[in-house]
Amino acid sequence: MAMTMTGEVQLPASREVVFAKLNDPEVLKACIPGCETLVMSSPTEFQAVAVTKIGPVKARFKGNVHLTDLDPPNGYKISGEGDGGVAGFAKGGATVTLVEKDGGTLLTYNVEAQIGGKLAQLGQRLVNGAAKKTADDFFKNFAAAMNPPA
Amino acid sequence: MASVSMTVNGKAVTGDVEPRTLLVQFLRENLRLTGTHVGCDTSQCGACIIHIDGIAAKACTTLALQCEGAKITTIEGLAEPGGKLHPMQEAFREHHGLQCGYCTPGMIMSALDIVRRNGNNLDEHTIRDQLDGNICRCTGYHNIVKAIEAGAKAMAK
Amino acid sequence: MSATGIGAPVRRKEDFRFITGQGQYTDDVTRPGETRAVFVRSPHAHAKIKSIDVSAARKMPGVIDVLTGAQLATDKIGNLICGWMIHSKDGSPMKMAAHPALAATKVNCVGDAVAVVIAETIAQGKDAAEKVKVDYEVLPAVVDPAKAQAKGAPQIHPDIENNTIYQWHLGEKKDVDAAFAAAKHVTKLDIVNNRLVPNAMEPRAALADYDAGTDNLTLWNTSQNPHVARLVISAFIGMAPEHKLRVIAPDVGGGFGSKIFIYPEEVVCLWASRKVKRPVKWTSDRSEAFLTDAHGRDHVTHAEMALDANGKILALRAKTIANLGAYMSTFSSSVPTYLYATLLSGQYNIPSIYCEVDAVYTNTAPVDAYRGAGRPEATFVVERLVEVAARQMGIDPADLRRRNFITAFPHQTPVIMAYDAGDYNASLKKAMEIADVKGFAKRKREAARRGKLRGLGYSTYIEACGIAPSQAVGSLGAGVGLWESAEVRVNPTGSVEVLTGSHAHGQGHETTFAQLVSERLGIPFENVSIVHGDTDKVQFGMGTYGSRSGAVGMSAIVKALDKIEIKAKKVAAFMLEAAEGDIEFKDGKFTVAGTDKSAAFGDVALNAYIAHKFTGAELEPGLKETSFYDPTNFTFPAGCHICELDVDIETGRVDIVNWTAVDDFGTIINPMIVEGQVHGGIAQGVGQALMEGAFYDAAGQLVTGSMMDYTMPRAHDLPSFHVGLTETKAPSNPLGMKGCGEAGAIASPAAVINAITDAIGTEHIAMPATANAVWAALQKSQAPKAA
Ligand code: FES
Ligand code: FES
Repeated sequence: MAMTMTGEVQLPASREVVFAKLNDPEVLKACIPGCETLVMSSPTEFQAVAVTKIGPVKARFKGNVHLTDLDPPNGYKISGEGDGGVAGFAKGGATVTLVEKDGGTLLTYNVEAQIGGKLAQLGQRLVNGAAKKTADDFFKNFAAAMNPPA
Repeated sequence: MASVSMTVNGKAVTGDVEPRTLLVQFLRENLRLTGTHVGCDTSQCGACIIHIDGIAAKACTTLALQCEGAKITTIEGLAEPGGKLHPMQEAFREHHGLQCGYCTPGMIMSALDIVRRNGNNLDEHTIRDQLDGNICRCTGYHNIVKAIEAGAKAMAK
Repeated sequence: MSATGIGAPVRRKEDFRFITGQGQYTDDVTRPGETRAVFVRSPHAHAKIKSIDVSAARKMPGVIDVLTGAQLATDKIGNLICGWMIHSKDGSPMKMAAHPALAATKVNCVGDAVAVVIAETIAQGKDAAEKVKVDYEVLPAVVDPAKAQAKGAPQIHPDIENNTIYQWHLGEKKDVDAAFAAAKHVTKLDIVNNRLVPNAMEPRAALADYDAGTDNLTLWNTSQNPHVARLVISAFIGMAPEHKLRVIAPDVGGGFGSKIFIYPEEVVCLWASRKVKRPVKWTSDRSEAFLTDAHGRDHVTHAEMALDANGKILALRAKTIANLGAYMSTFSSSVPTYLYATLLSGQYNIPSIYCEVDAVYTNTAPVDAYRGAGRPEATFVVERLVEVAARQMGIDPADLRRRNFITAFPHQTPVIMAYDAGDYNASLKKAMEIADVKGFAKRKREAARRGKLRGLGYSTYIEACGIAPSQAVGSLGAGVGLWESAEVRVNPTGSVEVLTGSHAHGQGHETTFAQLVSERLGIPFENVSIVHGDTDKVQFGMGTYGSRSGAVGMSAIVKALDKIEIKAKKVAAFMLEAAEGDIEFKDGKFTVAGTDKSAAFGDVALNAYIAHKFTGAELEPGLKETSFYDPTNFTFPAGCHICELDVDIETGRVDIVNWTAVDDFGTIINPMIVEGQVHGGIAQGVGQALMEGAFYDAAGQLVTGSMMDYTMPRAHDLPSFHVGLTETKAPSNPLGMKGCGEAGAIASPAAVINAITDAIGTEHIAMPATANAVWAALQKSQAPKAA
């Protein structure tokens, strides 16, 4: 089940600040819905564990996340793949672009994701909604993380 | 493991189950009442239908622990102790309402609930409509519908 | 006709145990010390297995062993096979890729098993399966049969170029091309025969029990043909010698073809049981069934029909790509070839036919026979072409059919089959009467007033059943003979057991076979029992599929009964002190012709065993006979189904308001059971036409993988059916039976689609014609739209 999704969010911070936070494991951990652990193994690579529920399938995903095409402060590409054991797998990536706007930053994201195994078999009708909600939640959390001083 | 007690087909039973043990597993594996079947894992087919306190329920979607103290009836509990068949069982045989027999226990238990809800004079439309939770892959439903109509009437006698 | 004899609607013997919950299906059987198998399956459609780490799983509570494909290979367990050889046009043999029961190096479809956990309980097995770590290197997948042969498509199996298994053909291309060149009218259609998931309500299961003391293996499984399973598991997979392996198929909850085949799970359970020295049980859950049961159909076809100015069919040609999935299942190669192209003549006199079939691998579940197997695909092609041709030429569809019906028998078609008997006009006429076709125009007008578009569709189908003459199928590539066996054991008290190689999984053989024996021997129906499904009890037999158990299985019983009569007459001759030639047998009584001396069947049976009246030198004691019956021809059930339906203009929803089926099945043993078979077949065919469809996304994930998304007919989706019969006897078997198990599924999809297109005024609509699809088609058609 492949799916694509785009969205944008206006953030009350400069591109430099936003970009830094996008690379900050603590911020990412706080923002990824269901994230239990997030360990940096290099500045562009980390391992995460997150619990996700799609329809009837709930799984703890272990995954590797890579940051590529780093172009501070204009954006990057974040991609990862998660293995949910018998629940299947999820993989995908998002291209994140930052532009200055209205004294803050407009963050645009372009997500491409794919799920497989039981997740696709049982949860495919729900997956678009679930993915959208995950992205929405992430950026809502991320916007909130802009407010307290870094 | 936790202990659960209920009445099944009139007999008091107790068993140790895990919190995740389904009622259908408890019936089939602990009590060896294998007349209740499992046809799916998404609560779609009705092969597992039993009665909990007189009301039809899907035993694949009920935890055994939820049934603490409940009165359960399965297909094995329908005929009279002497062996005389329930009129609905008799009607399924008389009207050839079964082929492979796999959906049959669930169909019969579901049929009884349709009678409970709608009385003994059922029309084809009501039966077809309310049999929505049961799938049969063999009969095309034609004879199941006839059997339920006749069985419902016979139950009034 | 007696109350329990041939032709009587006898209530079924088997029903008591089913309606009281006492059926014994495979999962109901338990063995002391039983363990449970849980499979670890690939979530990827196409991937290399880089490594499998089972160490964490082994440490989980309740785990007895975790086994992988590498161990299977070390133990030299053979691959699963396809048992029907098809040769390509160029003479080369089909390309069968290796199919290990557990994948060791590469997975080729989602659900491919890579490891198995053997645990004390299912829950423990599932927990441990979560801990098996498989490292995959994911490869691009191909799922669409029409794209599998393309340059650059992912290669699924090494050395099998373009994923092409065979490129087969049948018929004379030259003649067909000439006929098309000269034709006044040509009708062309592109047809997809949608992929289906059989979904017998009982999921597959296997329980293997290894007895170390005797080195015997016993397998209980959900099989339509336990002897064939034993033969394949023994001779090809090398699990155990045939005499050390017992296969028992107890009550089986529906098959529809999907339980003919030998599957990886039963092989693994047998192997594992020997390894862990305990019984091993596996019961599929429905999610696994969707991924691993052999699917059905999945053809992409371009078909053309040539006609003269009067609507006489001159020729037919078709090019089909058949998707066989990731591996070749047991009989998969025969379905889109000899079970398909040989039926492209339908009920019609078509002088020339040419059909090409390419079979391809894709990264999807294997595809094999499903109710009708090849014949529904053929019927759909022929009946759609005829219908569209009639409309294009302005000829009434029933009339165009009539103009082309075969009326003289035997009739040799250009595609192998020699039809031996039938009366196609009779079934069409009777169906048109029952369906009140005359009153259709009026009903259509009434429906229009309610905002509905009413349509009427015919399907005059034919099938080849009674599968099959061994020599004929052998010459076409079958690896086995398709005869059937029976043993009739008369007990000293006169009761009878019939051991049959047929297998019932809903068909009611315990009843119909007993009816035959009761009538033939003149003994009470209750005194006959039918034994089937156990290789230790029953002599070798071929099992049940292809509507063969009446025409072939019962014919074997008839032959054995003939032998019983001959022997019993000898016994009676000694008892009655008469010449053997003077003994007559009628209504269960042996009499000496022209006298009142007689002996009842039971007395003769007893005398056969006590043997006081004769010496062993004169006559062997006992009364038991075996027969193997090999049919001389296929049988050709045929008939006419008429579907009348309403399409809702606003929503595209289809409601079938009237279904008429008139079938010619030859001799009928039990009309109640026959009608039941017809009902069930129609339901599956309507399911195919209106709602069922297995869909994979481009990455090879099955997106219709549960009953939530793969919709099957429920009671309110169907009407009650009007079923009628006509009868011409099948000349090729002693009872004149033709078979009835598949007719409904073969006939009905074309009737539905013909009716929908009639209602909405389009040439074609793809199956499944869901409300959404019909609505979309309506928007493009000339039919009245919603206001
Ligand atoms: S097993 Fe299918 S609904 Fe319960
Ligand atoms: S009788 Fe076989 S599923 Fe209903």
